[in-house]
Amino acid sequence: MSKTLFEKIWNSHLVLEEENGPSLLYIDRHLIHEVTSPQAFEGLRLNNRKVRRPDLTIATEDHNVPTRNRSLPIVDQVSSIQIKTLEKNCKDFGIQLFGINNPNQGIVHVIGPQLGITLPGSTIVCGDSHTSTQGAFGALAFGIGTSEVEHVLATQTIWMEKLKPFEIRVEGERKNPFAVTAKDIILSIIRRIGTAGGTGTVIEYRGEIISELSMEQRMTICNMSIEAGARAGLIAPDEKTFEYLRGKKYTPKNYEELVDEWRENLKTDSNAKFDKSFTLDAKNLAPQVSWGTNPAMVSDVTEKIPFPEEFAKDLGQQKGVEKALQYMDLKPGIPITDICIDRVFIGSCTNARLEDLIAASKVVKGKKVSSKVRAMVVPGSQMVKKQAEDLGIDKIFIDANFEWRESGCSMCLGMNPDILGPGERCASTSNRNFEGRQGVGGRTHLVSPVMAAAAAIKGHFVDVREMDLN
Amino acid sequence: MKGNVIKYEQDNIDTDVILPGTYLKIHDYAELATHAMEGLDPDFHSKVKEGDFIVAGRNFGCGSSREHAPIALTRSGIKAVLALSFARIFYRNAVDGAFLLPIEIDEDAYKDISNGDELEINIDTNEINNHTKNKKYQMKPFSEIIGKIIAAGGLFKFKP
Repeated sequence: MSKTLFEKIWNSHLVLEEENGPSLLYIDRHLIHEVTSPQAFEGLRLNNRKVRRPDLTIATEDHNVPTRNRSLPIVDQVSSIQIKTLEKNCKDFGIQLFGINNPNQGIVHVIGPQLGITLPGSTIVCGDSHTSTQGAFGALAFGIGTSEVEHVLATQTIWMEKLKPFEIRVEGERKNPFAVTAKDIILSIIRRIGTAGGTGTVIEYRGEIISELSMEQRMTICNMSIEAGARAGLIAPDEKTFEYLRGKKYTPKNYEELVDEWRENLKTDSNAKFDKSFTLDAKNLAPQVSWGTNPAMVSDVTEKIPFPEEFAKDLGQQKGVEKALQYMDLKPGIPITDICIDRVFIGSCTNARLEDLIAASKVVKGKKVSSKVRAMVVPGSQMVKKQAEDLGIDKIFIDANFEWRESGCSMCLGMNPDILGPGERCASTSNRNFEGRQGVGGRTHLVSPVMAAAAAIKGHFVDVREMDLN
Repeated sequence: MKGNVIKYEQDNIDTDVILPGTYLKIHDYAELATHAMEGLDPDFHSKVKEGDFIVAGRNFGCGSSREHAPIALTRSGIKAVLALSFARIFYRNAVDGAFLLPIEIDEDAYKDISNGDELEINIDTNEINNHTKNKKYQMKPFSEIIGKIIAAGGLFKFKP
């Protein structure tokens, strides 16, 4: 029988399945970090349990780590305790940790692929909703809560309700792929299907535009699947996928044999049925800017802030838009390009990989950040940071008055000192524009790295397609 | 299960307003509870009582996988969230740790229930009684696996 890629991975990991009941799924890789793991380890200790497969469990410190000078002690005592707790837990239970001073430290979803931990056809979980990022490699990767983290630590399995496959095709030739990026594709998809459009599903992204994207761009797309309510995003692996993972630190020794097998099996059969389907036409896609307080509240950069009445078909949505505009302190009818910003954040598991930084640096090169703006770049991992520095990209940013930081989640979720002040407005390459996400009273506009870089230079949003680039 | 309603008539109440990220460092659950709903309703902590229910719109709990969100609500005294729909990670977190009941209701019930109403919920009959308004609503039944995890008292006590 014809099957989708999701069903093939699901079926090959089933330990137990009951009709109309729960499924017990085997987990190939478990990534952990300092924030969602402490209670899980505490649970293991209380019940005198061991970690079943420490060899399949990998830890890093990313969520609350400071991004300034790492040779200094952590000032925030509560963060410091959380970090020390993870270090102790990893030591006690025999888990490999890429700690704060390790050259492989970084945002968990960035280091997984960079180290070759993320493999096609595998199941990957992490106590973080953006685990979906790693679906770009054809892995079934999804976020879990701390009780489930404990369950996976103890058993290497997880109880699941079967998810439904959702096909999203991206077709039509993009004009100006430098300015109209993977971020614009995924924001545009969420704008159209809504924040709950993918609830209960795994989205498989397909079509000619998805095939054209690089691995890092595909990760940006899969990363934000959760923002559409989907548990995971998935892209069938191809030669780009296999090449990306070749020769990494943890790439298996029999890699070429595995590639032969993946090439043969890891794709959706031609007659396979999806529960849902949606197609995005990328032909007339413009750079996207979010103006509200959820990732579906997005417009083209060429548009104006919408009037709540435009959403009159749905009273709940109309009220949501009114409330969002009030929080964002924006008036309907003003052009997006009239919105002035105070801060720029280029970072996060959505958009802080090497290609993101290279693209943004092309916009920034030879220019200066607007005197009204404070801008920062937080590389997704220490490896990304080093690669960028080897290319001299750090200098381009520093010369333009960007701050160049150490890696971590940073201002994406406001757990470390990198936060917005009340009322501050930020062009951010991250994934969530929820109220207070980047700091109490902070106002977030989600954009691509090139759009964030352009806004940093001009002090307001600007259509990056119209920028004079060197 | 009987309690009073705290109603938020809005969709997409996300985990960042249920428990802002800055508090994810806190290990003590009682302290976590003092920050529940702080991003949406700074008065929540002073008004919530043991046994209360939250009523909200669509896609409740969207966003992060932080289990701190249902924990903070539970430790505040919330026994159930009644919403038009839930984001799935929040939904599972609520059930897995036996924190609170995520109950799906329909539009009619959502519109009818007011802030402060006294409700009685019976998950065996899937009935919600509104004692204040003297009305009855049906909740959406739990799926088989969710029902079993709830009955067992959480993920670790659950056996298929």
